[in-house]
Amino acid sequence: MSLALNIPVIETERLRLRSHREDDLDVIADFFADDRSAFVGGPKDRAESWRVISGALGHWALRGYGMWLVADKATDAPIGGVGFLNPEGWDEAELGWHVFNGHEGKGYAYEAAAAAKSYGAEHFGIPAPISYIAPANTRSVALATRLGATYERDGEVLGNACHIYRHSKAEAA
Amino acid sequence: MMRYKIPQLETERLILREHREDDIAAEIAFYATDASQFVGGPKSPEDTWRYISMMMGHWALRGFGFWALEDKDTGTYQGRVGLWYPHGWREREIGWILMPSATGKGYATEAAQAARAHAYDVLGWETAISQIAVTNHASKAVAKRLGAVMEETYDAGDAYGEIEVWRHPAPADLVNGGMEAYA
Repeated sequence: MSLALNIPVIETERLRLRSHREDDLDVIADFFADDRSAFVGGPKDRAESWRVISGALGHWALRGYGMWLVADKATDAPIGGVGFLNPEGWDEAELGWHVFNGHEGKGYAYEAAAAAKSYGAEHFGIPAPISYIAPANTRSVALATRLGATYERDGEVLGNACHIYRHSKAEAA
Repeated sequence: MMRYKIPQLETERLILREHREDDIAAEIAFYATDASQFVGGPKSPEDTWRYISMMMGHWALRGFGFWALEDKDTGTYQGRVGLWYPHGWREREIGWILMPSATGKGYATEAAQAARAHAYDVLGWETAISQIAVTNHASKAVAKRLGAVMEETYDAGDAYGEIEVWRHPAPADLVNGGMEAYA
């Protein structure tokens, strides 16, 4: 039995959205060692960070869509993560993003999320995903707004109260 | 596209295959109860789903992992057996976890023998361990039937508690009649 991990590669002006790889572990473990990762389930130790990589791959296998590793297009170095999450406990598919240490403030998350959003509309049948956002995560609120999402309702994910933003219907590219 | 192969194995009574969405429902029900106490449970449905997806990613990264056990006669999910070596793990491990309805039939021994043969004959492993909670007597009996020997114990922390490390016979020892002796 052969399982396809059909993880497409998407290129934007500065970024490449690609599959997570084991050699991304140093950067991912560094991100999850920091309290900044609290908004995406951290902090986690190095072994748990490896499981983030394997879990991201398994999500693609189970759902047919998932999170991409966002890499610098020129160097292939990891910059962050972006994509669609819909594990057990989620109301529906979420568009999520995070930026690794040292890469904030350059518009990478917007560039990656905009590309992911239009790809999801065209290929995954996800025209108007939600985003779960902790109200205290002002950067993410700003980015969701910039992507055209609006506050829809209060919600809860993994026992944490959060705001649910709804993205406007993306035009399939 | 990345493609990873999960070889299908067959024993007398079981098919070892990839996990499917339906199997996750069974695992979620299992991890909701204390029956999962020896294998990191209880876990929430959310954590169980993530655990199974992480297990599938392990196949992609390592080329081996956990198989779902399907009863040949009924087609129902019996649990899982597999080869396990995530980052930071002690060493390469053979693991078995049966759903409560599947215990007492020799399924774990039957499936683990097939998994071990795959590890030794196909993947070229030279040795393997199985880590078992000190109080998990049923699982220790399986290790014994597989010819494994208890090597040491250590404290694995809150989720797993006191753990025994069982060492499996080496491939050469199995060729010399070890496997048949326990079949």
